[in-house]
Amino acid sequence: MKYLAHRVLQSFFLLVGVSVLSFIFVELSPGNYFDEMRLDPRISSETVSRLRMQYGLDRPLPVRYARWLDSVAKGQFGFSFAYNAPVASLLWPRARNTLVLTGSATLLAWMIALPLGILSAARRNGLVDHATLLFTALLLAIPDLLLALGLLLFAVRTALLPAGGMMAVGSEEMGAWDQTKNLAIHMIGPVLVLVLACLPTLVRHTRAAMVDALNLPFARAARTHGISPRRILFRHAFPVALNPLISLFALSIGSLLSASLLTEVVFSWPGLGPLLLEAILGRDFYVVTGAVVLASVFLVCGTLLGDFLLIAVDPRIRMEKLA
Amino acid sequence: MPETHLLEVRGLTKTRTQGRWWQRQFEVCALDNVDLTLDAGQTLALVGQSGAGKTTLAMCLVGLEQPDDGDILFDGKSLLEPDRKRRVRPRQDIQLIFQDSSGALSPHMSAAQILEEPLLIRRQGNREDRRERALGAMQQVGLPLSWKNRRPHELSGGQRQRLAIARALVTEPRVLILDEALAGLDLSVQGQIVNLLIDLQIERSLSYLYITHDVELAARVADEVAILYQGRIVRRAPPETFMANARLASTVLGRSDASDLSLGAHMGA
Amino acid sequence: MSKGKHFVVPMVCVAAVHLVTFLSGFFAPYDYSEQDRHLPYAPPSTLHFRDAQGTWHWRPSVCALVERPEQFGVYEEDRTRCFPLAFFTRGYRYSAFWLIQSDRHLLAVTPPAKIFLLGSDGYGRDELSRLLYGGRLSLCAGLLAAASSVGLGLLLGTVAGYYGGWCDAIVMRCVELFLALPWLYLLFALRAFLPLHVSPSQAFLLLIAVLGIVGWARPARLIRGIVLSEKERTYVLAARMFGGSDFYLMHQHIAPRTYGLLLTQAALLVPQYILAEVTLSFLGLGVAEPVPSWGNMLAALQQYDVLVSYWWIWAPGFALFLVCINYWRLASAMQVAAEGTAHWQ
Repeated sequence: MKYLAHRVLQSFFLLVGVSVLSFIFVELSPGNYFDEMRLDPRISSETVSRLRMQYGLDRPLPVRYARWLDSVAKGQFGFSFAYNAPVASLLWPRARNTLVLTGSATLLAWMIALPLGILSAARRNGLVDHATLLFTALLLAIPDLLLALGLLLFAVRTALLPAGGMMAVGSEEMGAWDQTKNLAIHMIGPVLVLVLACLPTLVRHTRAAMVDALNLPFARAARTHGISPRRILFRHAFPVALNPLISLFALSIGSLLSASLLTEVVFSWPGLGPLLLEAILGRDFYVVTGAVVLASVFLVCGTLLGDFLLIAVDPRIRMEKLA
Repeated sequence: MPETHLLEVRGLTKTRTQGRWWQRQFEVCALDNVDLTLDAGQTLALVGQSGAGKTTLAMCLVGLEQPDDGDILFDGKSLLEPDRKRRVRPRQDIQLIFQDSSGALSPHMSAAQILEEPLLIRRQGNREDRRERALGAMQQVGLPLSWKNRRPHELSGGQRQRLAIARALVTEPRVLILDEALAGLDLSVQGQIVNLLIDLQIERSLSYLYITHDVELAARVADEVAILYQGRIVRRAPPETFMANARLASTVLGRSDASDLSLGAHMGA
Repeated sequence: MSKGKHFVVPMVCVAAVHLVTFLSGFFAPYDYSEQDRHLPYAPPSTLHFRDAQGTWHWRPSVCALVERPEQFGVYEEDRTRCFPLAFFTRGYRYSAFWLIQSDRHLLAVTPPAKIFLLGSDGYGRDELSRLLYGGRLSLCAGLLAAASSVGLGLLLGTVAGYYGGWCDAIVMRCVELFLALPWLYLLFALRAFLPLHVSPSQAFLLLIAVLGIVGWARPARLIRGIVLSEKERTYVLAARMFGGSDFYLMHQHIAPRTYGLLLTQAALLVPQYILAEVTLSFLGLGVAEPVPSWGNMLAALQQYDVLVSYWWIWAPGFALFLVCINYWRLASAMQVAAEGTAHWQ
């Protein structure tokens, strides 16, 4: 129990560190949102400085950080200059859209990768195995950007899929079922890209973990005892392979918010990625900080979840950490 | 009248603490007020069970560890740094031969490079001088010069210890400390190395400090035997005394060995 | 020897690509900013081995392109004006490796014909030339950034592992901090907090610095692990006994044990960094026009008609794929040589 408390505390401090780091970067960066305004001759410099004071940009760094923390506590996550609204009101809908995409993609990818990896490991050097390895090698080498652009081209050329966006125009008038169908159609392209992007690593890791487990002495001994291969595979080898797979799963969960940036931009999906990009180009720093901290929260929670799962699943680690 | 010994240890003390800073700690006394003297040309054997503090003493003498209290004098002059707290300055005159011969020689260097390293570190001489001295040392320990490009893993245990001795000799020391250097070698090889060491002692008038738990070996090679028990020197006498008083030897080293095993495990000798 | 076999092919491919792009001045027929406003999105030139009379020549010819009237972007060849290709001719000056100055080019053709081996882009610039120059930038950025990450990781990992204590604690907390940030987001955030509009050379250096900072954590942790075990070796102790300083021990005995790992990490990082540069430039955060980078060249594909009609604009993508696949194979081969099995990070 002490170990778990220690890990939670460590994660908390990590997040604090992340937010401080973001703030320091903001401090060090030249230029801010109001620089553009200053160039506009119609806006007087007094207005600009008044706006700066209003947003508290002239205060020293620790004060700004404290105010930002206060804002986080209130659930606002700072203020966006471009949208003239609290950052949180921008983050949540976008994050939700991203999660819809990445959540489905991750689920789908694991659902394909696990059986494929186990099958490959069970029939090592068979046809399935070689085909899988070749396929994953090719997929690994194709950059995500190309996958996204390629699928977009396919969508545009064949008109089978919408060429981007989340919902068709005028979708507010549709009924709930139609809206869901609409959403699903729009999701196919980006989800496919995400699945293809992360599938190779998952399959290969699953296969490697299963192969390692099957090569362990106890699995070989089980074979000589005459235990059926299927039983060995699922009852004996898989629990051992679970250990590295849980770490991989934790990473999958952790990158739920951050893995789809490029895909969202290419497919014009209104997720966290395009928001971040827009904020960067517009120098809307609190939005950038908010997005980065939110994505870090996911990553840190993912790792924490992985640790907890490992303790729950692997008795060796349970003994080592909780003793 | 106080005589100047070659090497003198006075009241050397070192304690070790076990446990992390947030746990309850307990202290282990590795060396407790140790006094030792070694004269030129003399062979002293330091005998004790594992964990008695023998290796700690050796480490302090060559400057790899710092004592908490006490002094080490070489030729009458203290080895401790004057200003900083008890820091021992390593000297070329005192060399240590480690027990683990394969670990003590870098597997990534050839025999000649291993021998040249001490000179390289001290920046003594140019490349030819170093090569010459290295090959000279190889000859002295009886290793064929054609082996100069061999790696340590290509040599046997006995040959590796010879190489280690050669490396120590390259710096022209006056005291050689052998920390269980003969353990793990078969008896015939042990005998060969002992003879080599005796020859070297005569040629170069070296002094030896044999650290061992093997009482019989100590009796064979040493002029005097000192017993280290739980960090203290409890007895120092010529070997004949020990052989005569077999009970004393077994009391200190035999039965106590078994009963104090748990304590010995805590000490980092 | 069977181990060596796996290295050869990827190594040669990678080296070939790097070499060709470094010498892009020689291989590129045109400068990367040379425009022809009359020939936007021209398709790749057809090489004619037979002239108008039907005679076979070994030297291919290229005919001038004329835009079809009333149809934008569709071209016709004017067979009356065909010019043979010239090889190893003199043309505009360029420098390779900032040292070699020359004006020899591999290919050229007399104007008004243009040799567009890979077509032209929206401004009438030769796609092949831009591919080569852009490759030089993208690949260089990847290499240098990987070198900085790995170098920084070596420095901090060695110091942390060797000295231990609070030094180690601080470095390890920083490592955890950097690893807790999603890689791409950290990259973007770092890029966000730096000046947006910088000159191309500044942008290049900026990119390398940012990428280097983002990726030092994992190599540092791995190196620290090695240093921790290596510093306890008896022969290191022996060298210290002979009077070896900390620096001597680190660079003579400990650091060399990390070089294998460093190379593998570098081979894994280079393609990631090339992709990162391409991503940043694609989104407008990296190198800006008119300097080409595979990223900003691919950005043209975000326009509908380019995506659908002009297949040659995909050339940087194909080149990227080739580079990535060879780097992965190289990294795999290194891991196989080092450990006997290949893992994927």
